[in-house]
Amino acid sequence: MSAIGKMMATREAQKLWRNKSALLAIVVIGIYLLTALFVMAGGITRDTCDSIVGSNKLPGFFQQDSPEKRYENATTKFLSKIKRALTAEDVTAALKEVKLGPYHAADKSPAELETLVAKIDTLAAELDESPNLDIDPSILPKLAELEAAESQLKAPLSPWEQFVHNASVCLGTDSQGRSIFFRGIYSIKIAIQIGLVTALFSVALGAFLGAAAGYFGGWVDHVVVWIYTTFSSIPNLVLLVVLAYAFTNSAAKDTLLPVYIAFGATFWIGTCRVIRGETLKLKEMEYVHAAQTAGFGPIHILLRYIIPNTAHLMLINFSLLLIAAIKSEVILSYLGFGVKNQPSWGIMIRDAGNNGDVVGGFFWEIGFATALMFVLVLAFNILSDALQDAFDPKHV
Amino acid sequence: MWAFVIRKLVYNIPVYLAIIMLLMVLLRQRDPVAGMLGKNATEQDYINKREELGLNVPFFVQYGKLVKSIVTLDFSQKVWNEPGVTVGEKLWTAVPRSLALTVPALAITTVISIFIAMLSAFYRGRWIDRLLVFFAVLGMSVSFLVYIIFGQYFGAYKLQQWVGSPVFSIHGYESGIWNWPFYMLLPVLISVIVAMGYDTRFYRAVMVEETQADYITTARAKGAPQSKVMFVHMLRNAMIPIVTRVMITLPFLVTGSILLEEFFGIPGMGYVLLSAIRNNDFPVVEGFTAVFAGLFILSIIATDILYAIFDPRVRLQ
Repeated sequence: MSAIGKMMATREAQKLWRNKSALLAIVVIGIYLLTALFVMAGGITRDTCDSIVGSNKLPGFFQQDSPEKRYENATTKFLSKIKRALTAEDVTAALKEVKLGPYHAADKSPAELETLVAKIDTLAAELDESPNLDIDPSILPKLAELEAAESQLKAPLSPWEQFVHNASVCLGTDSQGRSIFFRGIYSIKIAIQIGLVTALFSVALGAFLGAAAGYFGGWVDHVVVWIYTTFSSIPNLVLLVVLAYAFTNSAAKDTLLPVYIAFGATFWIGTCRVIRGETLKLKEMEYVHAAQTAGFGPIHILLRYIIPNTAHLMLINFSLLLIAAIKSEVILSYLGFGVKNQPSWGIMIRDAGNNGDVVGGFFWEIGFATALMFVLVLAFNILSDALQDAFDPKHV
Repeated sequence: MWAFVIRKLVYNIPVYLAIIMLLMVLLRQRDPVAGMLGKNATEQDYINKREELGLNVPFFVQYGKLVKSIVTLDFSQKVWNEPGVTVGEKLWTAVPRSLALTVPALAITTVISIFIAMLSAFYRGRWIDRLLVFFAVLGMSVSFLVYIIFGQYFGAYKLQQWVGSPVFSIHGYESGIWNWPFYMLLPVLISVIVAMGYDTRFYRAVMVEETQADYITTARAKGAPQSKVMFVHMLRNAMIPIVTRVMITLPFLVTGSILLEEFFGIPGMGYVLLSAIRNNDFPVVEGFTAVFAGLFILSIIATDILYAIFDPRVRLQ
């Protein structure tokens, strides 16, 4: 850590701080990190993501559904729950149980609710006579009346609940009526978590093995090169999928552990190669020879002289691996081998593809997931470029 | 040179053995038999099936068998999920389909990106260079999935609606050279667009490195025309990294693109592999990986040799 601190005070680092687009990228990444922390602290839970907040495939930006769909929403979802509760044995208890998204049954007597339901039924029967609500503007006042009656069945929301509800539908809902906005934001945490864990692990492992192989040479070098040649000779996707798939019967199958292991096992190779090459160069440096002559042990030399001088390469690789992890997570989740039982951008894109959203011209879900991912990956790409320009300008 | 090749080949034998071992160990974390038999199987059925698949013998016997069949280039094992088909037949039908997609994609991408990279390096630091680099970074930041989904939607589905008749296939495959544009051109274009960002940036970095070399200054100083400096002096010297990059991607041509093949319903190698892993069809995964790893190792050796041919200063050791 102190090595990174020192690095940030050098002349090369000042080149980085002067780069405006890099600073902007850092700010963007900071916002994503804060959002991920907010989600981790319980700001958005898995339950929030899975709860149904409205009709399915509701368009975003508070657009209204088509009249047909409005009619269907007002006469089925909440109404049918109320109707069922009114026919139950213990009506008051059953009414208390009624819940749809943030809505509960209004605090009215069963008799009052009965009259409202009857009113809705008559209005609905009148609307049924119109062959197609979508092309008949004359029914709109009646539809509004129907919706007003239906909303009286619901207990009014507190301002906070109203705000949360508005936020949840601000970008529409997916094919099951879940909030696209909350699912997309929750996925930030998944992406950042997978990115950080795998990038940290891969860089640490790659740097350790690479520096050891480069410094000691001999059989250590042979073993390390042998291991990474082996891993890189298996098609990457086969290795990722087989690794992720090896866990399907274990207790860890619903956690992120298979993803971590699959990425960790494949991502360290690039870092290891780079650090090994750099170490081969560094160990011929005069200060390393001086340290050897002064009688320092190899561990001391590695930790004190070699590894700190590869910190810039580690930082660049870390940034590149984060991008790789985030992008690979989306593809693995899409194929069904990655994240399970919780939202992720890959799952959102898969849902949008499988449920005919794209073919039907409904781009809210795939669009939001793509936009969030695009901005994050773009920020990391710009940052990696700036890091490379500043610390490793000769890199090809 | 032959001494180098033989030494490299011998050196890679343990690597190759380890690849097969690693893959077999990983695959055997799962039990394929239970899934094949269904719920009503008896204990005896289970034992019989394991024996039929050859899973009842100790691991190292299975390992030895596989290594032996690879060494003798014998791919006549039966595919588990399709009766009567051998692994060799499966590979032989699937690989050409993948190649029909990946080879044109690689060729087009390489030519176009080298051209753009030279343009970018030539105008280095000017607005045209910045614009090209900016677009490359933008292009790299969009997920592959999104390119495919929208490429398929606009390129196949919407275009079909506008034109009135299908221009590109949305899903499906037929072999034959005349069917190629209908089924493959759109996936190839998508794959070119995806790869272009990465390749352009890489080749630009190579070219920029070359523009700073002394021989370029010399060539300019002696009055060589700009085009000659670019295309003769620079391009030839930039060939080493270009060849390395192309050579390294060659083995990956046979794996195909799982995502493209899945979306466009092309039964190529990526598609076959993915379904083999999903259905625990061990012989297919093992046979294919054995072939791929062999190609990969050979291409690395070939890259080293090409290096020496392009650059006489490089010594093979």
